[in-house]
Amino acid sequence: MTPHPPALQIQQVHVALGGTAVLRGVTLSVRRGELVALIGPNGSGKTTLLRAILGLQSIDSGEIQILGAPISPSTLARVGYVPQKLELDRGFGLSVREFLALRLPETRHWLWQSHRKIDAALAPSVEELGVMPLLNRPVSRLSGGQLQRVLIAWSLLRKPELLLLDEPTAGVDTPGERSFYELIESVHRRHQMTIILVSHDLSMVFRHAQWVFALNGVVCCQGTPEDIIRNDSLKEAYGLHLTPYHHHHSGEVSHVH
Amino acid sequence: MFTEAYMLRALMASVLLGPVCGLLGVFVTARRLAFFSDTVAHSALAGVAIGLWLGASDPTPAMLAVSIGVASLLLWLRQRTELLTDTILALLLSTSVALGVVIFSQLKGYRGEMERYLFGDILSVSPMDLLTASIISVGVTVLILVWFNALTLITTHEDLAHVTGIPVRWINLGFTLALTLVVTLAIRLVGIILVTSLLVVPAATARNIACNLRQQTVIAWLLGLGSALGGVVASYSFNLPCGPTIVLVCAALFVASLALQKVVRPSGHTPAR
Repeated sequence: MTPHPPALQIQQVHVALGGTAVLRGVTLSVRRGELVALIGPNGSGKTTLLRAILGLQSIDSGEIQILGAPISPSTLARVGYVPQKLELDRGFGLSVREFLALRLPETRHWLWQSHRKIDAALAPSVEELGVMPLLNRPVSRLSGGQLQRVLIAWSLLRKPELLLLDEPTAGVDTPGERSFYELIESVHRRHQMTIILVSHDLSMVFRHAQWVFALNGVVCCQGTPEDIIRNDSLKEAYGLHLTPYHHHHSGEVSHVH
Repeated sequence: MFTEAYMLRALMASVLLGPVCGLLGVFVTARRLAFFSDTVAHSALAGVAIGLWLGASDPTPAMLAVSIGVASLLLWLRQRTELLTDTILALLLSTSVALGVVIFSQLKGYRGEMERYLFGDILSVSPMDLLTASIISVGVTVLILVWFNALTLITTHEDLAHVTGIPVRWINLGFTLALTLVVTLAIRLVGIILVTSLLVVPAATARNIACNLRQQTVIAWLLGLGSALGGVVASYSFNLPCGPTIVLVCAALFVASLALQKVVRPSGHTPAR
């Protein structure tokens, strides 16, 4: 039997923006079913790499393969993307129900369909995330934590094999962050999908990720959170003092300053 | 009054253009395109002047050509320069108005014509204008309804729309063209100076009383129809200038919506902005 190709394979990717080399030969491979974090300080190229993976940023050289195939509309259909925030102004009336209905083929005519019919189509996929009570709320007025739940629900509706989250807890308070990462872990466990978290929030990422890639124009180090926290390249990139912390999987106690 | 041919044409023009302006307005307000609409409308003044200068009996084709040209120039400048969109819009708006006024100043006997386009003259709508308005209004309404999900998603998050497989660039281009055509035609109804209000005010009124996008869309469509129709009837009945009367009806409905929103909206929903 042929083994499954990696969920994400990146080979020697170079990207220059406005004459500045942002990605200088990034190479990494993400195994299927892993919960992975892509970390790096500001300007390290995290967002550029994410945009390149999603086909939003053209690359100067190198190769990106998602689920064993080059980037194309059919590959991207197997990928879920959770952006940091939406671009809506507060007066745009789009409700959570209407937003989620945009995602499913059977509710694409939501403008003419009854709420009951839409809810019945949505419920099996989104009930577990606790978004059903939010269906009548305008998307533009959700709190940071609620919005992230809704965006994850949006992605899960198409049952993606790879889920990419861009700085998911940027607008979320500390208790919200904790419950958000617990939600991600439970989604990961239940759906057995590959999840890549792009973040600069080290302490939370180290607590929940199984594997970490640290980016600084190139992948400067990678490994389990326990290994990477002791890596000198990471300390150099961040200029941080890193001490032991508590990791969910290993039980080791550490902390990030 | 419905027996008079010019009045019937005026009413039909308002029925055709009012609702499509309301419908487009839902996305114009959400995508902050009000200033863009205003620029396209003002560029039509240069189009009218060029049309009349070239000796055309009906300057509508020249108006449409110049408006589309200005909209394309805006897109080109946005891609090719690092100027902010606001700056480019201000540049194009003032240049096209200046060009229009300079050409008008060289034309003999057309001063009244300029006023007609600045403030609208729905009572002079010709059968040909009506035919053009029918084709464009029906075409744009169908286009918006077909693209409704795509436009909603692009408004929500362009990158998310792209990743979902929506041809964002083409739909943005199509929407810009549709908006340009409707704005240019609606100038007949309310005039260059007031046309943006026909796009923005019904949609803004709908935001005050709607609880979701479906309601917002339907209400904006109905308000566009009601304001245009009500404005034409009121202007005929009270012998008032047509364009400004339509805009005043829009504004009155907006004020009424402010009072209504506390009654209509369920508790916990704050007013839309």
